[in-house]
Amino acid sequence: MNHGFYLWMSYGATAIAIAIEIATLAAGRARARRLIEEERDLEAQD
Amino acid sequence: MNWSYFASPSTFYGLAGRLAPWFFGLAAMLAVAGLYVGLAMAPTDAQQGEVYRIIFIHVPAAWMSMFLYLVMAVYAGVSLAFNTRLAAMMARSLAPTGAMFTFVALWTGAFWGRPTWGTYWAWDARMVSELVLLFLYFGFIALANAFEDPRRGDRAAALLALIGLVNLPIIYFSVHWWNTLHQGSTVKLTGTSMHVAMLTGMLLMVFAFWTYSIGAALTRVRSIILERERRTRWVRAL
Repeated sequence: MNHGFYLWMSYGATAIAIAIEIATLAAGRARARRLIEEERDLEAQD
Repeated sequence: MNWSYFASPSTFYGLAGRLAPWFFGLAAMLAVAGLYVGLAMAPTDAQQGEVYRIIFIHVPAAWMSMFLYLVMAVYAGVSLAFNTRLAAMMARSLAPTGAMFTFVALWTGAFWGRPTWGTYWAWDARMVSELVLLFLYFGFIALANAFEDPRRGDRAAALLALIGLVNLPIIYFSVHWWNTLHQGSTVKLTGTSMHVAMLTGMLLMVFAFWTYSIGAALTRVRSIILERERRTRWVRAL
């Protein structure tokens, strides 16, 4: 197999891993915002 | 400078928000420069051909996997010793990035090993100890989230992080202590035999991964702070 395959599998997987981490960072932020909103709603009900 | 001022989650939240974009921007610039030097300027290796260019992500990822664990364990130790909330949050925020770089080091190592050694994996001391590091990260993340009370999770995970520190010298010295398939260190404090363009590309990528890790940790810790402090007045006022 030519070396391009090994290079692409390495660089491609790294790019995907970083992209997934950035997506999870954004998801974590959205989750934190949602929890704050839920807390505000609970407070408003009280 | 009053360092305890920055140990307050509310103060650090703002500081992290201001710093993170700069670290991400710097990481992107360094990565572009590192990839250009590594893929376009560095010469082809006489023995390994083009496949050696995996070095520009494999070595920086492997270094970051160990360095981030060390920093995570220091934060965990500080949180245990001084019962500081922010240190525990920082330890939590570093673990996923450390795990990601450990995975990248193992994955790229496998795709470098196949054409050079003839195998994707060997039960070699360096590779096994790096795999143990990945399991330590997974264990830390799982333990930190296993308790309803996050402070209990912090303490349990901190203990694991400190115990796991013993694995770092094993990873680093494994190539000296045992007869391994994995090669020994090419870059040492005393010098290197690498071509200057190869070394420059690799170091640029090390700094790119380093600044990216800081940006990611600062971004993640902001979410952790918001979650933990959501009942406080300052978070509600955001």
